[in-house]
Amino acid sequence: MSSNITFDAELLRRYDQPGPRYTSYPTAPAFASEFGAAQLREQARRTNQELIPRALSIYVHVPFCFSPCFYCGCNRIITRDTTRSAPYLSRLAREIELIAPWFDRDREVVQVHLGGGTPNFLRPEQIFDLMESLRANFHLSGNAKRDFSIELDPRFLREGDIASYAALGFSRASLGVQDFDPVVQRAVNREQSVEQTLAAISACRDSGFRSVNVDLIYGLPKQTLEGFGRSLDTVTQARPDRIAIYGYAHMPQIFKAQTQIDEADLPDPAGKLALLQLAIDRLTRAGYRHIGMDHFALADDDLSRAQDSGTLHRNFMGYTTHADCDLIGLGVSAISHIGDSFSQNPRELPAWEIAVDRGQPPVWRGLALSFDDRVRADVIQQLMCNASVDIAAIENRYDIDFWDYFATGLARLEQLADDGLVELGQQRVAATSRGRLLLRIIAMCFDNYLNAATARPRYSRVI
Amino acid sequence: MRLKNNPIADDGDELRFCSTCAFSAACMEQGYDKTRLGELHVLVAHTGPYTEGMHLFREGDPFDAIAAVRAGTVKTYVTDSEGREQVQGFFLPGEVIGLNAISSSRYPCNAVALDPVMLCRFSFPDIAALATRMPGLQQHLFRLLSQDIGKAALLAGNFTADERLAAFLVSLSRRYAARGFSRTRFRLTMTRTDIANYLRLASESVSRGFRRLQDTGIVMVDRREIELLDPAKLEAMASSILRG
Repeated sequence: MSSNITFDAELLRRYDQPGPRYTSYPTAPAFASEFGAAQLREQARRTNQELIPRALSIYVHVPFCFSPCFYCGCNRIITRDTTRSAPYLSRLAREIELIAPWFDRDREVVQVHLGGGTPNFLRPEQIFDLMESLRANFHLSGNAKRDFSIELDPRFLREGDIASYAALGFSRASLGVQDFDPVVQRAVNREQSVEQTLAAISACRDSGFRSVNVDLIYGLPKQTLEGFGRSLDTVTQARPDRIAIYGYAHMPQIFKAQTQIDEADLPDPAGKLALLQLAIDRLTRAGYRHIGMDHFALADDDLSRAQDSGTLHRNFMGYTTHADCDLIGLGVSAISHIGDSFSQNPRELPAWEIAVDRGQPPVWRGLALSFDDRVRADVIQQLMCNASVDIAAIENRYDIDFWDYFATGLARLEQLADDGLVELGQQRVAATSRGRLLLRIIAMCFDNYLNAATARPRYSRVI
Repeated sequence: MRLKNNPIADDGDELRFCSTCAFSAACMEQGYDKTRLGELHVLVAHTGPYTEGMHLFREGDPFDAIAAVRAGTVKTYVTDSEGREQVQGFFLPGEVIGLNAISSSRYPCNAVALDPVMLCRFSFPDIAALATRMPGLQQHLFRLLSQDIGKAALLAGNFTADERLAAFLVSLSRRYAARGFSRTRFRLTMTRTDIANYLRLASESVSRGFRRLQDTGIVMVDRREIELLDPAKLEAMASSILRG
């Protein structure tokens, strides 16, 4: 990644438009309620019948948070009432019992991720019960290379929590930080000290966690290059194995908490891009590799290795090393990717609860991928993971003529090429170094669902 | 790695045989082209498509016709007294189903489509009559019949899971190649359970076997698609079963 990428005002104006983050293709707005539990079950049956059935990856959503961070676009429930976790967990156990029999027992679960919300809203003994419930119904891998990870809010960790997670088999932690600048922290209602954060990182190391990730956000209210630069330095000095730098997506019409943020405090597109540029410069200088989109990793981290060996994959949890898994999402709003399908649980807690209480697998909506979906998903996946597309590989794999097939996207790609964002060669479509910051824009040229709608308030701006 | 083309037969017409026709070679050898057959009023009916899971016939149905597969894969099976399914065979384009019914007047097994299947059905009395006039066709019918019986030998004997799997893949490869399809890249339309049942193995043994073949660089597997990377080695593994 070259260090000096400049965008003129005209380019910025043209490309600062809403676009999907492509954690899936087709993206969630294309999911429909015609795809329900019966369809998902059929997909699961088919995956069991593959010659070498894929290993399984399990995502568990824990929706509760103690306090509202104003920037948050996640599905979460703000409460200080920790008794709410017990009924949620017993329903999770029920959901596990409903879904697990769909999968042959010889399929190993090689990845478990607890996300939120705030998974450490649960006490360690509750997480123990959850893991036991998974262990009783699935074949959890005992292999040292398995990947059990948990998202943690350092502000609410208690003494000994992290050691307990390690004892339960977790070996990767993701810590929310966002920005250490106290002015920004007050503006987003998330006050978290450097000491607290560094203590959590040390505790992970001392407990034998293999990898620690830190989440930062650029584009927050009152954020400055100076303040964010100091945060970046503090974080890189702690040497987490991975750093994610997410762009703040201001969509108060969708995410109610964001109405607390004064739009006047937000940096403009040029300011946002400068913050991102600063992050890329500081992180690369500190020895981190830009994996793609919003993710950075040290050279010896699993993600970097996966990128070198071509096994990097992108899904709802961001970038991952487990390309060949079927993903089972459990809990409210969780998304599954099983066989050639995507599906999602109800976003609202009561709807999820009712389904589980009735003994119905809580599938709200989904989609079975068509041939066209699969071709485009593959292209977009390659773009997101390698910043380039191998034309011959796609032609060979799907028996298509690449430029015949993507003729409708070519005009837009040529525009991007003229603007120096992408190179259109004989062998590959490759993002330039400035284009790597706008992978979403390049991917949108291959998205067959965007053509219909011009204004899409459902997606955040790409910068 | 994915399959370039699914094996689908080129359709024939009044003058030409379908590319996968099970009888064209035998007829041509005898100097009977398609026009000549037409003059003999041999009734041939193209039927289908039958969609995945549809039965082509069931055990006990009256037998009146044999059918050649033009496209797709057909599985035949019987159900034992405890209701357990026993897979008898898989039939690819160009292969003939219903031959084992010749000795009786009813089908002795069930036949189900594993993917969209097209058939070419012809009345058995008609073709039997024709065969009396055409010694080559008669020989061909006997040959098909003995091939059908020969498949059972694949499963007898004390062979390892890997040997059975290798023999299964080599057999499919040869059969696809014989009809002009790729010898090294094809899609296994049968499920893991079906393969296990057919080879008399546990389902887990089938996937473990495929994984071993993949880890040793002999095949590459993607869901239900397979590429034979080292056909020679696979042949060697299968040799004790297939012998030639």
